Amino acid sequence: MRTAAAAKSEVNPSAKLKRNIILDNLFRKNPILSGGMVIAPIVVYAVTLKNAITLAAAFSVITFFTLIISSFVPKKIVYTIRIILYTLIGSLVYVPAYIILNYYIPEVVSEMGIYFPLLITNSFIVSRSETIFFLESKSKMLLDIIFCILGYDIIVLIFGTIREIISTGELSGNILPVPLIFSGLGLPFGGFIILGILAALLRYIVLITKKM
Amino acid sequence: MEFIKQIIIASFTGILIENTVFSRALGTSTLISVSKNRKNILGFGLCAVYITTVTSIICFFIDRLINYYKLSYIYMPLIYVLILGFVYIVTLLLLWKFFYNLFFRMKKYVHMSAFNCAVFGALFLNHKYCSSLAEYIGHGIGISLGFILAVYMVSIVYDKLYSENVPYSFRGYPLILIYIGILSMAFYGLVGRQLLY
Repeated sequence: MRTAAAAKSEVNPSAKLKRNIILDNLFRKNPILSGGMVIAPIVVYAVTLKNAITLAAAFSVITFFTLIISSFVPKKIVYTIRIILYTLIGSLVYVPAYIILNYYIPEVVSEMGIYFPLLITNSFIVSRSETIFFLESKSKMLLDIIFCILGYDIIVLIFGTIREIISTGELSGNILPVPLIFSGLGLPFGGFIILGILAALLRYIVLITKKM
Repeated sequence: MEFIKQIIIASFTGILIENTVFSRALGTSTLISVSKNRKNILGFGLCAVYITTVTSIICFFIDRLINYYKLSYIYMPLIYVLILGFVYIVTLLLLWKFFYNLFFRMKKYVHMSAFNCAVFGALFLNHKYCSSLAEYIGHGIGISLGFILAVYMVSIVYDKLYSENVPYSFRGYPLILIYIGILSMAFYGLVGRQLLY
């Protein structure tokens, strides 16, 4: 009779790799709460759930397409030029992304101000692309990019929801029975503090699950 | 004289009122990596001031040209990337040609200071809030000096934020964010209002 340990050791390595990529990006090594990536728009702009949804959409579209197109830039080109090409691709992807989002939600896009175009120089495109994504095989890279972006989006949405409830006592216009409202947490300093507490909370949860 | 006065006022605005990190959270990820080593601050700071100032000057003239076009804001990131890329390459070439020994030491700083949100954000903020060449230069210098101030303020307590005495869950990155948040609160008190973005 096979033991549970033996069965576990026979798990398909490809499935294990996929599981690790998913768990790392969504949870253990989350790009925001562990990696500290693309913090600026979250801290300043993601003050409500609505803003968080817009940020997640804009970030996902720009980052995904820029990274996929950039992965075809030949490695023969020197790093100095490659990095310019990545941001150049990002700025080209920004044009249709801006037009589409501006067509559907113009007032929200204009509220985003400088944080929308700044997404083209985000850490995923400028640094993580060279250090992690483009060193992997195409299939692994695609999976890694998708779950990295998802990991970012999930935290942005959780963060926007918590922040809106704490700082306004409302969620998407619905008044909630919140006993205390800290309106200051809707300001940039509040964003840093909430993000710091969430990062500590995630680390605590990861520690607890490791011990189990 | 008026030109110098405008530069100084715009610089102080960039450092204290519109501090890139504490008021706008720009370049926070870069700040966390640069503040690890205090030796990096000088090299990084010099490069950041140089690149922001030079690109701000070029952008002043380019902004005058593109402002006439109705949809210029859509293509602005593309234009700014081209300018930043141009300054980045020219800087590396000049270092390689005239300061060959310095080139290998400064290469990583040039890269770090050219492609980060603080420098890129400075160009958009210049476009939004500045009108004269002196303001562009002063604001550019101020934003990069403000960024260096933020890096320095984090680096001086870096060891304490990573101390064994801090509970594991808060040690390092989470505490850096809370610390920046507290400093940001102080800067908010100094300015007295939230900045437009």
